Amino acid sequence: MNDFDVYLYDGSFNNLLNTIEILIKEKIKPIKIVSEECLENDLFSNIKKKTLSIDNYFAKYLKNISNDFFKIVYDVYLSDNQNKELIMYYFILNGLKYGSKVIYLRKLKCVNEALNISSYVRRESHKLKGFVRFRKLETNFFLAFISPTNNVIGYLSNHFKKRLSNESWMIYDLKRDLLSIYTKNKFMIIKVKDLEKNNFKFSSDELEFANLWNIFYKTIAIKQRTNKRCQMNFMPKKYWPYMIEMRDLVEKSY
Amino acid sequence: MSIEEKLKILADSAKYDASCSSSGSKRENNNGLGNASYSGICHSFSSDGRCISLLKILMTNCCIFDCKYCINRKSNEVKRALFTPEEICQITINFYQRNYIEGLFLSSGIIKSSDYTMNKLIETITLLRCKYHFNGYIHVKAIPGASNYLLKKLGSLVDRMSANIELPTNNALKLLAPDKNQDKVTNIMQFIKENKSKNFVNAGQSSQMIIGATNESDLNIMQMSTNLYNQYHLKRVFYSAYIPVNKDRFLPSLKMPPLKREHRLYQADWLIRYYHYKINDLLDDNHPNFDILLDPKTSWALRNLNQFPLEVNKASYNDLLKVPGIGPTSAKKIISNRKYYTLEYNDLKKLGVILKRAKYFILCNGKYFTNNNYFNLNFIKNNLLLEDNIDKKVQLCLFNE
Repeated sequence: MNDFDVYLYDGSFNNLLNTIEILIKEKIKPIKIVSEECLENDLFSNIKKKTLSIDNYFAKYLKNISNDFFKIVYDVYLSDNQNKELIMYYFILNGLKYGSKVIYLRKLKCVNEALNISSYVRRESHKLKGFVRFRKLETNFFLAFISPTNNVIGYLSNHFKKRLSNESWMIYDLKRDLLSIYTKNKFMIIKVKDLEKNNFKFSSDELEFANLWNIFYKTIAIKQRTNKRCQMNFMPKKYWPYMIEMRDLVEKSY
Repeated sequence: MSIEEKLKILADSAKYDASCSSSGSKRENNNGLGNASYSGICHSFSSDGRCISLLKILMTNCCIFDCKYCINRKSNEVKRALFTPEEICQITINFYQRNYIEGLFLSSGIIKSSDYTMNKLIETITLLRCKYHFNGYIHVKAIPGASNYLLKKLGSLVDRMSANIELPTNNALKLLAPDKNQDKVTNIMQFIKENKSKNFVNAGQSSQMIIGATNESDLNIMQMSTNLYNQYHLKRVFYSAYIPVNKDRFLPSLKMPPLKREHRLYQADWLIRYYHYKINDLLDDNHPNFDILLDPKTSWALRNLNQFPLEVNKASYNDLLKVPGIGPTSAKKIISNRKYYTLEYNDLKKLGVILKRAKYFILCNGKYFTNNNYFNLNFIKNNLLLEDNIDKKVQLCLFNE
C-alpha cells in the first residue's frame, strides 16, 4: 500500500460496499476511494480496482448490526460529501467493532460526520417533498425538475408513489441526469443524458393553475409581518428556480 | 366574478388565521388522490416567513357577525365573494396534483345562519372526499352555534376541526365580538374532545387567540391556553399578534404588530407542553408579563440559579431540559451518549447543545467553562444580554439591505 493508491468503484451502492468489505478484510486503510464518474486522471495515482463478489452478504451482515446503522450508511452514500466513501469506510469499520451502539459514539469523528450527513440528507429529502413542483403535460403526465444537493430522488419517488398513486409522473434530477418514471404502481430510476428540457408540451389548463397558485402565494403573505430572512432560512434560494411561485425572482428557471 | 378575483378575495380574508399545520394525521391513500403525512409537510414559505402547507381560503367572506377586529365584519364595505363547492374542489385537486399544497384549510364567514353555513361546508367536503376521492389533509373551521349533528358529520370527513377562542377572556370577547361568546366556542371543543377517534378529527383540534387587541396580561393568556390544553386536549393553541385592519374606538392603534410578544408566548407554550413547566414557574401576579429581552426559559433559570450549575454527565433527563440551550433532542442525545463515554465541552456541540447559552448553567466533568467565581447572576445575565444584542445588530443590518 502506498499513498497514491486510489480504489475505484462503479458508482453503485453495492459495489462500494463490496469494495469496502474487501479493503477491511485485507486490512488496507485507503487514502482515497472514488467512483468511476468522479475519477480525475493524474500522473501519480495508482488506480486499483478490487474484483468482487456479486452476492450482498455484506449488506445483510451490516443490516444485522442494526437497521438504523444501515440506513445511515445508505444516507452517506446518497450525500454529495467529497469524502463520503472514506467516512463510510471508517463508519462501517467502527460499526463492525462496536456493534449497534456505534450510533451513540459521537465522540468518534467519523460517527459524528456520518450522523450529520445522514440528517442532512433526510432533511433535504423532507424539504423537497414539499418543494417539488409538478407540471401537467398534454399527455396527462406530471413532470417535475429538481436539482438537490444530495441524491434524494429515491426517497422522493417512494413518497409520491403513495401520494400520487393513480397519476403518472416523472421527476428529473438535472444535476445527476436521473429520471424517475412512475406509471401503474411502479417507478423506475434511470440515467438519461441530454433530456430535451424545453420540448415538453403542457396541458391546456397548466398555465391557469400555475397562475392561480401565484395569486394565492402572493395574497397569503401578511405585509405587516414581512420577514424575508425567515423565509430564506426555511426555503433556501437554491430551490427557487424549480418553484413556480418563485420563478420571477430568479434568473435561471425551469 | 372571475375565479382569480374570487381566490384573491377569499385567500386575503383567510390569511390572518395562523394555523397552517398539516401534521398528526395518518390518513392513507385509498385508491384515490393523496395521503396525509404524519410529520406534516411545508410546501412553500411566504414573504412573511410563514409556512404554506394548506390551501387556506374562506368559502365566503360574507358574514352576519360584526366582530370589531375582523376585516369581514358586516359593517365593513369590502368586496364579497363566494366559492361554489365545485370551484373549491377543482382548485384543491389541481393544486394537490402539482404538489403545491398538502391539503385544504376551509373556513367561512357566516351566511344566513350557523347551520346553513355548516351545511355548505359539509357539501363541499363531501364532494371532495366522495366524488374526487381526495385523501389529503383537510382542516375546517367549525361554525360557532352549529348543531351537534352537523359537527358530527363534518368532523367525520376531516383531519382537523377547530374553533377559535379569539380572545383570552369572555369580557374581551363581549367587547369586540358581540355576536360570539366563549360558551359557543367551548361547546364545540367539548364536543370534538368527546367524539375524537380514528374516524373523527383524527389529527385533533386547535385554536387561536389574538394578542394585543385588548389589555390582558401574558399571564391571562397563558392561563387561558393551559386551560384549553387541559380541559379540551387541544393539539395546539396559536397566538396571533394583533394587526389593525379596522378603525374602531374599542381597538388599540398600533403601528407594528406585537411580534416579539407573540414569539415569547409561543416559547412559553412550548415550555409548558414539552418541558414540563407550569405557568407559575414562568409568570405570577408580580410578574404578569414576559421579559422582552430574555426568553422565558433563560429568565426562569436566572431566577432559580440555585438549581444550577448541573453536571451534564449525571443530571436526569428532566433536569437537563431545564438548561437554556438544551432541548428534548439534545437531552436525549446526551443521555444515550454518556452511557459510553464521559462528555466534554467539545462533545456537547456535536450533540446539538447551544453552548453559548448552556455553558453558563452546566458543569462538564466537574468543570465550569471558566473560573468558578464567575458563576453569579450578574455575570451570566450581562453576558447573555450582550450576546443576544450582538446577534440583533447583525439582524438589523440584514433587514436594511
